[in-house]
Amino acid sequence: MKEVLAVMYREFLIRRTSPLWLFFDVAVPLLYLLMFGVAFDKALGLGLAIGGDSVSYNQFFLAGVLSMSCFGSAMNQSYGFFVDRDNGIFYEFLTYPMTRGQFLLGKILFQCLMSVVQCVLTLVAGVLMLEIGIQWEFLLLVFCVVIIGAAGWFFFLAIFAFLIRRNDTYNTAINVAYFLLMFLSSLFYPLENVPGWLKVLSYGNPLTWQTDALRFLTIGVGQIEFIVIESLCFGVFLLVSFWGAIRTLQRAI
Amino acid sequence: MIVSSFVGYRGVNIKRGGGKCKGGPGSNFPEMLVDCPSFSKPQRHMYDDTTAIDVVDLLKVFEKKNRAAVRAVDYISFRVRRGEIFGLLGPNGAGKSTTIKILTTLLPPTSGSASILGYDVVSHPLEVRKSICVVVQENAVELYLSVRNNLRTFGRFHGLTWSEIERRADGVSELFGLREHQHEKGVDLSGGLKRRVQVAKIFMIDTPIVFLDEATTGMDTFNKRATLQAIREESRKGRTIVLTTHMLDEAEELCDALAIVNHGRVIAAGSTDNVKSMGLRLLNVSLTFERLTNDILRFIHAYHPYKIETSDHSIEVKVREEEAALGILAGARQTGLLRHFEITNASLEDVFVELIDKKESVTS
Ligand SMILES: Nc1ncnc2c1ncn2[C@@H]1O[C@H](COP(=O)(O)OP(=O)(O)OP(=O)(O)O)[C@@H](O)[C@H]1O
Ligand SMILES: [Mg+2]
Repeated sequence: MKEVLAVMYREFLIRRTSPLWLFFDVAVPLLYLLMFGVAFDKALGLGLAIGGDSVSYNQFFLAGVLSMSCFGSAMNQSYGFFVDRDNGIFYEFLTYPMTRGQFLLGKILFQCLMSVVQCVLTLVAGVLMLEIGIQWEFLLLVFCVVIIGAAGWFFFLAIFAFLIRRNDTYNTAINVAYFLLMFLSSLFYPLENVPGWLKVLSYGNPLTWQTDALRFLTIGVGQIEFIVIESLCFGVFLLVSFWGAIRTLQRAI
Repeated sequence: MIVSSFVGYRGVNIKRGGGKCKGGPGSNFPEMLVDCPSFSKPQRHMYDDTTAIDVVDLLKVFEKKNRAAVRAVDYISFRVRRGEIFGLLGPNGAGKSTTIKILTTLLPPTSGSASILGYDVVSHPLEVRKSICVVVQENAVELYLSVRNNLRTFGRFHGLTWSEIERRADGVSELFGLREHQHEKGVDLSGGLKRRVQVAKIFMIDTPIVFLDEATTGMDTFNKRATLQAIREESRKGRTIVLTTHMLDEAEELCDALAIVNHGRVIAAGSTDNVKSMGLRLLNVSLTFERLTNDILRFIHAYHPYKIETSDHSIEVKVREEEAALGILAGARQTGLLRHFEITNASLEDVFVELIDKKESVTS
């Protein structure tokens, strides 16, 4: 445990040196919700019909914003490997007395704390400014999904950060992947009425699994059996990504 | 005194990760081996409480798409004794850093094995990492952290308590002249200062084994001296030091034992004195004359010297036999023009250059 704390301490010291970065890290999802959400909410007027219920776009989009912020956090954190590699410190880290798994966990746990702060701010803004009704009793579960989501995406992206050694190539690849993952998911729109091919692709996307779970926990939309299956799938995605990240890290030199 | 020895495998196939390497192991016999009683006795990891590092037939091949594979380390074997300062020397691309990367668990070997204090680097990497600290060849400083925080994070990673971290950080800051730079960020430091921070970190902790891959590169003379002195002190305290350097005078001064590698193979190894003197018996004859004449040069050439360098009235000759050195001296005195002479053992650099030269000519 103290090894993981040592990595977190290092991440904290580095983040502390750039308050602007810290601010954007925390505030970006909030801006998404306020600007994107409000515009769509107005455009859609009556809202969306999901499983017989009608929900406003702001309500619907809240879970999407939380998922996006997890992905964004993971993406930012994975860029850190390139900075560490350029500094040379990356190689030194790997000789420190800790396992590769502890190193990766420490890297993401600090970011998970940041994601929880993001989540709290987003929820509070949603409630106070957009009058979204939230199931507060599931708040701790929401935090869990946010933490697991950020970690899952981080491990997944870390695999590519270790495989693709060039910063610019990684940047391009991840931006394209982010775009595809966002639009082939339940993040921006319900999947009930989309074409069959889109539905199939979207339900195979971990971003959908995470967003559906968050949507169920925040505004109660979705069927519990289905959400449980999606959550289990995300758990498998997390474990496989963690394993893959450790494997690629062993070969990252 | 036996300070270093070799173990080898003859005709044994080593299997690892499904791969099979034939014929290679054991074929990398150094041309010059000194103090090596166990060399002819093939054994795997002869670990005892005097052995710090044991490397047996280590092979590392880098496979590259559309390019020929690179054998960075080609069946290297050596052993480092506890408390020893061991130098791994060789020209650029010889495989020194790759060997260190394998020993420090950064890279897996293609085949062969290596152990640190009895722990295999592949099967027990965590135990190995708990026993070592490393100055990697690349600069490794946290650019966005202050010098002090660089030391602090390093201490935290190695499990020091907060009070211990502060106490030791004060000590190494003093030792490496970092006190006035404590609050400067890594990004603002000069190249040499960055290196000093990187080297200073290893003095924060007491791991029994230290790897230094060209640690003094970029340092000025004063700091280089201080670092070498500090390394010597650590060795006296019982730490085992493995270093690579291109400063052969530095290696000569510091190392108890060394291995010279070229193209991934050990070409000479043993105690520093023995590597210098026993194997090649290279002697350096320095002569200063009132003036240099063609006759002088002609009679020196008759001894088929290994190398001749002339400057103004001086001439430096490297020969392999004692008789040749004495013959040259006698001839020089007969000219009546000799003003000064000196016969010394060749320096490590001379031996190094000769070994590498010889290897290159055989290869070509
Ligand atoms: N990751 C890698 N992929 C492919 N080839 C590599 C890799 N790392 C090292 N090599 C090759 O292996 C050989 C040995 O390299 P290494 O860095 O060990 O040399 P070195 O003795 O440390 O040299 P120097 O004195 O320049 O530091 C070189 O030919 C190098 O190009
Ligand atoms: Mg090197």
